Amino acid sequence: MELIIEEISRGHKLLGRHKTIKNTVTIGRGYNNDIILTDPHVCPEHLSLDYDGENWIVSDKDTINGSFLETGKNSADQHVISSGDIISIGKSQIRIIFPHHPVAKSVTFSPFESLISSTRHPAVIIGSMFLFTFVAGFIFYLNNSTKVTFTQLLVPSVGMTLLFALWPSMVALISHLTKHDARIMNQLGISFVFFNLMWITDVFETIAQFNLSSNWPLTGLITLFPIGLGFCLFWLNCYIGFHMTKERRLTVALSLTAILFGGSFLIKLSHKPDFNPLPSYNVTIMTPNFLIAPSNTTDNFLKDSAQLFDKTRKAAQKK
Amino acid sequence: MKGFFTFLLLCLSTNGFATEQAEEIFKQLAPSLYQIRLIDKTSGEKSSIGSGFQISKDGLIATNYHVISGFARHPAKYTIEFLDHQGNKGVLELKSVDVINDLALVKRSTEIDLPYFSIADNAPKRGEEIYSLGNPHDLGMIVVPGTYNGLKTESFNQRIHFTGSVNPGMSGGPVVNNETKVVGINVATSGNQIGFLVPHEKLANLYKAYQLSVPESIDKQMADQLSQNQQKLFSTILTAEWKIKTLGNGVIPAIDVPFIRCWGESNADKTDALFLAAVANCSLDENTYISSRFFTSNLEMEFQYMQAKELSDTKFYHLYEKRIRRAGPGNKAGKDNVSEYQCHHDTVTPDNNAIENKTIFCTRSYKDFPKLFDVLYLAASIDKNNQALVSHFTIAGVEQTTALAFTRKFMESVKWN
Repeated sequence: MELIIEEISRGHKLLGRHKTIKNTVTIGRGYNNDIILTDPHVCPEHLSLDYDGENWIVSDKDTINGSFLETGKNSADQHVISSGDIISIGKSQIRIIFPHHPVAKSVTFSPFESLISSTRHPAVIIGSMFLFTFVAGFIFYLNNSTKVTFTQLLVPSVGMTLLFALWPSMVALISHLTKHDARIMNQLGISFVFFNLMWITDVFETIAQFNLSSNWPLTGLITLFPIGLGFCLFWLNCYIGFHMTKERRLTVALSLTAILFGGSFLIKLSHKPDFNPLPSYNVTIMTPNFLIAPSNTTDNFLKDSAQLFDKTRKAAQKK
Repeated sequence: MKGFFTFLLLCLSTNGFATEQAEEIFKQLAPSLYQIRLIDKTSGEKSSIGSGFQISKDGLIATNYHVISGFARHPAKYTIEFLDHQGNKGVLELKSVDVINDLALVKRSTEIDLPYFSIADNAPKRGEEIYSLGNPHDLGMIVVPGTYNGLKTESFNQRIHFTGSVNPGMSGGPVVNNETKVVGINVATSGNQIGFLVPHEKLANLYKAYQLSVPESIDKQMADQLSQNQQKLFSTILTAEWKIKTLGNGVIPAIDVPFIRCWGESNADKTDALFLAAVANCSLDENTYISSRFFTSNLEMEFQYMQAKELSDTKFYHLYEKRIRRAGPGNKAGKDNVSEYQCHHDTVTPDNNAIENKTIFCTRSYKDFPKLFDVLYLAASIDKNNQALVSHFTIAGVEQTTALAFTRKFMESVKWN
């Protein structure tokens, strides 16, 4: 009778799969067994599975550590097996499956598949990493209040790129360690595309802050963009690196986003003083060619500013 | 040689005369002089000291507001005590204050008539010898002879310039003329031999007002005085002539009043600087003390002109933004005194059409004086690629209408040349 025995980890990850057509299958550490386990907590002759013409029955060979069903933690001795049962022996687990056990539906390729495979093209990877390095270098250049040489900019910007490359490399490493395909080129490509998209949203954010007055409640809305981008990146990292269900992928991507943005928000909050004697204002300025919106008149500006007096008076009376 | 001796003798004799007279004055006035102490109720120790003097036979004592400010702000925390020349102590009651001129009236209870100082009718003449009395550093009552040098010209609220040492602890002590009449009250020092006194009329006015009616609440009295003072100050400023001054290629206002003084600085000597920067600062040279962590009634203006040398416009604007990112208030104030700032920003072209600015207006409200605010304004030009003009001011302790009127005039008087 055909029987499939899977060695699985405690997290139910598949470690090995055996198919037998015998009516008695022995499992243990001894080399005479049909299925040989290396777990030192397993006895040399640990378990046998016997087919009595109708059912498969488990018998434990009076072992030191015993055999247990995963569900219910009862002894597995003399248990009548149904397909999919998991038995713990020593610190290992095996799953027993009958040949007609149902399998999950085939997964269709995601619409992102073509996008993902296009980002692994060396030209895309080099292009996006170069763009990232260039932008990083430009920002270093802008922030430096003294004259700087090319090398002075090159070193930190390449360093910055390598630092950012750590993330996709780490994801690839984890997928490799968890017996998935590493797909490092895909991870690198997609991550740097998203890092560059973040720069672009930054530019749009600055333009908006430069042009619009504080009457526009923008700040909350604008922060949603990087959060959205972060979520998409994490989702794609999971999609590329791991086989997981949709729900799990969504949960992982959401948790990573929450940890990253929620964490930085909490850090900011913890640094916020009880009372700030300094005003916090937005003085974003850009060169005149980025000024698109028409500017206001003195009258309107003063009218808008006048509303602050009542607001602060109310805040002061709260105590 | 003979002439020299005569001169020396003359010097000695005048000196001797002054010392003699000082001694005489001291002996005569000592019974009406006090050390004023603020006692922290919880610890039972004195937390600050100053001087004071009797101005009426029924126990009214004049001192500085800043000597008893702790009590005025937190009456539950402190008591005011006096210590007289014989070492007697007693509790004082706060009756009235003039926070603008840093004066306070406190009262001791008495059943007998007490000797007191009388307030002079006229100001002394410039160069006249006057005598400052007080208890410096808790060392005991002393008398310091000095010279009356007229009123300080560059202050809005009058102060007498006294050439003589006024030391900490002497605050609130009287300054008398040869006739032992009070001509001023010790208030501040500006280092060696430069002291400042509150003119005697201010005390006379406070005393007169007190005789007419005793103020009900010190907080309300202070609020009214601060409001009146800002009104007087800004009506003087707004009606004064606003002259035009150039700063680089920009035009900035120069308010023609003696009590606003300006200073300037530039990096013209630094050849390696990426841009030329010139800064002009103008400010009111005084402020009003409310408590050791809360000052108000001041005005500061700052103008900056920047011009890029060999610099891309983007980098110039980036560095320019960095320079204006952290403007702060011009006065000290804490959580107990004010709300946090709230700000508004917009791009503005003033009616003069001669500049386009990114403009920021921030304000915070006073907790105990609800009509008063601190205001911070900052405008940064955004219409020239390689030049920038920044105009900025802070005002402390101003009412809404006054603040807006000043802001309007200020906004309209900054432009490109």
